[in-house]
Parts: sequence; C-alpha cells; structure tokens
Amino acid sequence: MENSETNVTPLLSAEAVDMSVLKAFEEMHSDEESDLIVELIDLYLEDAPARLKEIRDAVAENDASLLKRATHSLKGSSSSIGVLQVAEICKKLEQMDCQESPRQVEAIAQLLDYKFAKASEELEAERQRRLS
Amino acid sequence: MFTITQSSRRVLVADDDPVMRKLVTTAIQREGLVVVTASDGREAYRILQSDAGFKAAVFDMMMPHLKGLDVIRYMRTEKRLMRIPIMIISAEQDIKLMANSFAAGATAFLPKPFTPEQIRNTLHMLLGNVKPTRQAA
Repeated sequence: MENSETNVTPLLSAEAVDMSVLKAFEEMHSDEESDLIVELIDLYLEDAPARLKEIRDAVAENDASLLKRATHSLKGSSSSIGVLQVAEICKKLEQMDCQESPRQVEAIAQLLDYKFAKASEELEAERQRRLS
Repeated sequence: MFTITQSSRRVLVADDDPVMRKLVTTAIQREGLVVVTASDGREAYRILQSDAGFKAAVFDMMMPHLKGLDVIRYMRTEKRLMRIPIMIISAEQDIKLMANSFAAGATAFLPKPFTPEQIRNTLHMLLGNVKPTRQAA
C-alpha cells in the first residue's frame, strides 16, 4: 500500500486540534456548574491512551483486526472534537494492511503517537485556560 | 445503573466511546429527555430484554460484543420493542452502511463528525417519529 498521502489537509496545519470544532459544542451545554468542553477533553484524554496502546499492540503483533477496530474507534472521537490530525492518521491506518506493509504501518503509528502527544498538549492548555 | 422514569421521556444510548456518549447524552438532555446509557451493544441488549420503556434509542454502529445493527435487528423482532425509533451513529459516511442501517430497521442515520446542529436536527427527526400512545398499556 502507498505511503504517499501528502494531500491530507489537517496534517499540514500547525495545530493538532481545531478548537473551533470542539468549542462549537459549548452551545449544547446549559449546566452552569460544569464545563462541557473540559469534560470532553478529560474524557478524551482518559480514553484515547487505551486506544493508542491497542494500536501499538496491533502493529507489534500484526493484528489487522485489532488495528482496524482501534483506529476506527479513535478516529470517531478524535474527529468529533476537532483532534483532526489524529483522526486523519487513524483513517489512513484503518485502510492499511499491517501484514502487507508492516514498516509503513509502524512508521505511521509512530507519527500517530507524536501527533497525539501534540494534541494532548493543546487540549491540556485549553483545559487549563478554561479552569483558570 | 439507570433512572426509572416515564417511558415517554427516556432514551437509550449505547456507545463504547465515552466522548461520544457524553456528546449524545448532552444533546438528548437538551431536549428535556432522560438518558439511559450502555457502554456496548451487549449491555444495551440486556437492558432491552427487561425494559421496553424508551421513547427512542441511539446506537453506535461499531460496538464491542454486539454491533448497533445487531441490536436493531433484535429490537425489530420483538413486539414490545419494534416500534421504538432508532438512530445509528457511524464513523463512516458510506452510503452502503446507511442503506444497511435503514434495511435493518434504523429510523435515522448520523455520520461522525457531527455538529451540534446536525445532531439536534437528527434527534428532532427521530423523536418526531414517535406516536404518543404506542407505549400505553
């Protein structure tokens, strides 16, 4: 499989997170005691590492089925709250065959870890900003 | 754990992703409804086995143990559940998946990612399908 997805627009962005996607959900919240955006950030940062671990395990064990399931899951929540670079890489990984092109899959999985770390920093900064 | 209240105000939400569960739950609560959550298809199935008092149901397409479409198929074969309108949420915007969802018995289909307006509109469509006297008796 090709590893030449140079046309994936979100990956060219300097920011790993499109905050406008996340902040759009502010309008849904009516509870004054809590901040929906902070809750979404917390839930994402709690859950996503487990999905990333599954992806790493799937790559290490050439488990195509686990890779597809874990990337599909992470793609859904990431795209929904604006973590678009992670979502884009998950989409790419979901379409790849880890048995056919293990090295490419491994390289893209590493890129995923890097982009997730970057997204986490941005989300954590937004979280702190909202709580201060 | 879930709160028992009037069946006309309760919506069953099943999604293994906590972020999506929170988003969908918040959107439904905004409509003045009560949400009962399940963290996968099997839990939703277990709830439905003993409880048919729902105004509507929202299922993620890809859940562990039992997928959204499998839960729909089960509901459509049970007399006490077959009239509950169901929304399927999917990470794919594939027309074939959409067609499969409707063929299985889904009432509405919402692809991820969605905006607040998109989920609101889809919920209105879903809830508008409820015939008020259907759960009586």
